[in-house]
Amino acid sequence: MKIKVIESVLKDNDAVARANRAAMDAAGVTALNITSAPGSGKTLLLEKTAEALAPDGKCAVLVGDLQTARDAERLAECASDVLQINTGRGCHLSAAQVSEGLAGLALDRVDFLFIENVGNMVCPAGFDLGEHARVAMLSVPEGDDKVAKYPTLFQAADVILLNKIDLTGMLEFDMGRVLNDLHKINTGAPLIEISCRTGAGFDRWMEWLDSFKKARARSKS
Amino acid sequence: MHELSLATALIDQVLAAASLNGLARVEEVEVDVGVLQLVVPEALEAAFAAVSADTIASGAVLKQIEVSARARCRCCGRDYQPEFRIYTCPGCGRADAEILSGRDIILKSISGLEEHEVAHEDQGH
Repeated sequence: MKIKVIESVLKDNDAVARANRAAMDAAGVTALNITSAPGSGKTLLLEKTAEALAPDGKCAVLVGDLQTARDAERLAECASDVLQINTGRGCHLSAAQVSEGLAGLALDRVDFLFIENVGNMVCPAGFDLGEHARVAMLSVPEGDDKVAKYPTLFQAADVILLNKIDLTGMLEFDMGRVLNDLHKINTGAPLIEISCRTGAGFDRWMEWLDSFKKARARSKS
Repeated sequence: MHELSLATALIDQVLAAASLNGLARVEEVEVDVGVLQLVVPEALEAAFAAVSADTIASGAVLKQIEVSARARCRCCGRDYQPEFRIYTCPGCGRADAEILSGRDIILKSISGLEEHEVAHEDQGH
């Protein structure tokens, strides 16, 4: 006997993601899903962002990693609230893990929630966590072909960060190649060149955050 | 290896559909796999075999059909089929695509045997 089903395998994840988004909307929180390869600088980005937001804007961070609480320990110094999610064998965060994390955070006290996804450029692309925007980051030492190699991640991004821009003179990195690939994959997301280490370009990232938050507030009212 | 989390969600849906329809054994599962979900077919097959072990879907054949993506241009509103690395809109030349489909995995159907059929088969008929 053959039975027709027609049901999305992601439907449970997507339902929880919608609930997460609604909970954050109700609390007035703007949530960002930060995706990149391991080592591109997600944690330093969030440390510097939390420092730049304080004292006017407060932020919370959910950190996904397979093992250890090292990122959360680093971030605890600067963010108002940090929670580490260990995914164990999981190579990406799921909406359910974020939902559990949200229960442990005081959302009413923060403006932004940064969800630091597991460092991986393939698996996180397919899972909605309930974020309002996706940030895709690459860094100069990773090479100029990252966008072409992982188009799905960069296509789904609302903003793209190119980190470690202070290293461009020391490494072979063809900026034209990145721009050319993005031209075919995502012309809607701004590309912001930054160095989390030196602070170069960081103002533009903070401006983007501020304008994104304001645009959301306008669209709600 | 997000195939494992997809397979875990899939087996739950397969078992729920089987129970709802009175199947005692699941022999085949048919899924449409969106090309943008970046599934490695062999990995999904292996993950499904692992999570279905010790269930009534143990040993079931997983039939995967790859489906292409559809996108809508956020600039000019045109619907089109993007390529894996090229999302350029054929209408306006921008690459600002809202993905309409191709990211999802859809459980299409399950096939199997009802209780009396399983008993019949186990008797060697």
